[in-house]
Amino acid sequence: MTLAGVEALNVFGGTAYCDVAELATHRELDPKRFENLLMAQKSVVLPYEDPVTFAVNAAKPIVDALSPAERDRIEMLVTCTESGIDFGKSLSTYVHHYLGLNRNCRLFEVKNACYAGTAGFQTAINFVAAQSSPGAKALVIATDISRFMAVDVAEAQEAEWAYAEPSSGSGAVAMLIGENPVIFTPDRGAHGYYGYEVMDTCRPTPDSEMGDADLSLLSYLDCCEQAFGEYAKRVPQTNFRDTFDYLAFHTPFGGMVKGAHRTMMRRVARAKRDEIDADFERRVAPGLTYCRRVGNIMGGTVYLALAGTIDAADYRVPVRVGVFSYGSGCCSEFFSGVVNPGSREALGRMAIGTGLDQRYRLSMAEYDQILANSGQVRFGTRDAVLDVQAIVPRAVEVATAKGSLVLTRITAYHREYGFLNETLPAQGSRNP
Amino acid sequence: MDRHTIFDMVVKNVAEVVPDLAGHDFQLTDSLVELGVDSVERSEIVIMTLENMNLNIPAVQVFGPKNLGELADLLHAKALAL
Repeated sequence: MTLAGVEALNVFGGTAYCDVAELATHRELDPKRFENLLMAQKSVVLPYEDPVTFAVNAAKPIVDALSPAERDRIEMLVTCTESGIDFGKSLSTYVHHYLGLNRNCRLFEVKNACYAGTAGFQTAINFVAAQSSPGAKALVIATDISRFMAVDVAEAQEAEWAYAEPSSGSGAVAMLIGENPVIFTPDRGAHGYYGYEVMDTCRPTPDSEMGDADLSLLSYLDCCEQAFGEYAKRVPQTNFRDTFDYLAFHTPFGGMVKGAHRTMMRRVARAKRDEIDADFERRVAPGLTYCRRVGNIMGGTVYLALAGTIDAADYRVPVRVGVFSYGSGCCSEFFSGVVNPGSREALGRMAIGTGLDQRYRLSMAEYDQILANSGQVRFGTRDAVLDVQAIVPRAVEVATAKGSLVLTRITAYHREYGFLNETLPAQGSRNP
Repeated sequence: MDRHTIFDMVVKNVAEVVPDLAGHDFQLTDSLVELGVDSVERSEIVIMTLENMNLNIPAVQVFGPKNLGELADLLHAKALAL
């Protein structure tokens, strides 16, 4: 039987971030409630970044590590996003261009809120497992940004939704799917899915988000139990407490995962409080390692949790990870797979934590300024020129050091990008 | 099971999930949000009460109440409907 799984994985957690405790203080949010979010930092999208730049910056190290022959076997590129930049044109077309991939490649985009990454992932796994093109690889990139439009303080403090701002991040996770899954090997046939119509959170207009924290949380909990229940029906002898060495959950914020784990352990595993807390630290906390530094990156969040588990958990033998993916609206899936010490070694070469360390920390004044100016590149922008060098110059230094792709111009809706190590001309000082 | 019994169950679960509120004199008009109970804690209170009542329905079906009295009423109605 052909193996199908994750050959390589990388995370792009942005160029800049802000400290969420500082943001919470700045917004005058309740400090006790804020602590329960279990959040430390959130990545902030800059005006010259968009879902395309995030996707390319996540995938490029993976593609660069391939031989030309291997790269040419990428026959499917799926972008997974709820931050689309066009209703028709898939952002996978831009990503394909800037990664320099073979044109004999399927390009498409999937949307289903935060479940999109898993929809793309399972589609790619099935493509490889089905052997319709033996030896082919698929590149799946979950990429999302959150541009909070300038909100006045009263709006920012409004009830529960105010807590969405500190937890909403921007980021992309790229995964190369193929027959040599050194990073993560999904257990074939081991999945349970559960979905139904609910209006919990959504993006009803192109650049805004709205939702109800209570409804979304209840739906997440219902789905976790139902999707796991379906998994357990399909995989005999499954036990929530013992079958999985680690758990990687979709993480809107860490406190929500802690609550979901507690509820599952109490209801499904019949565990007591002390045991639940110790189990959380042992099996779940490693998955929060990167999530608490990037925020909720929607479609990629559950794979950010998986990356954290692979990098931070303490294992010396192959271990099984239970994965729970949830997307509002809603659809969810519980599945599992195996990682081993070689996975950690391979993922370590991407230096995800170092990439997060290198981000520029925004002051609150810079953060507010970015929000105020975010309309410059809002959905539907026909023409724009981004003066990259003028926007938070110290962040540009970070992006330049990484050779990141940035958005430079929009002309008749067509987006133009450039890698910063290609020495982009500064605005107003074009070469004679 | 009448609404007062359900209300008492809810109150017991609030005190268990948020020990700081154990001494509070709960009223039907109390709002968990105004008492500083966060969204994760609120969901746990709802789910624990459903368990206490042996009400096997999706938790999203008891979304919407704005205070403890409304929550008790909705849970009561759901129990009667089964």
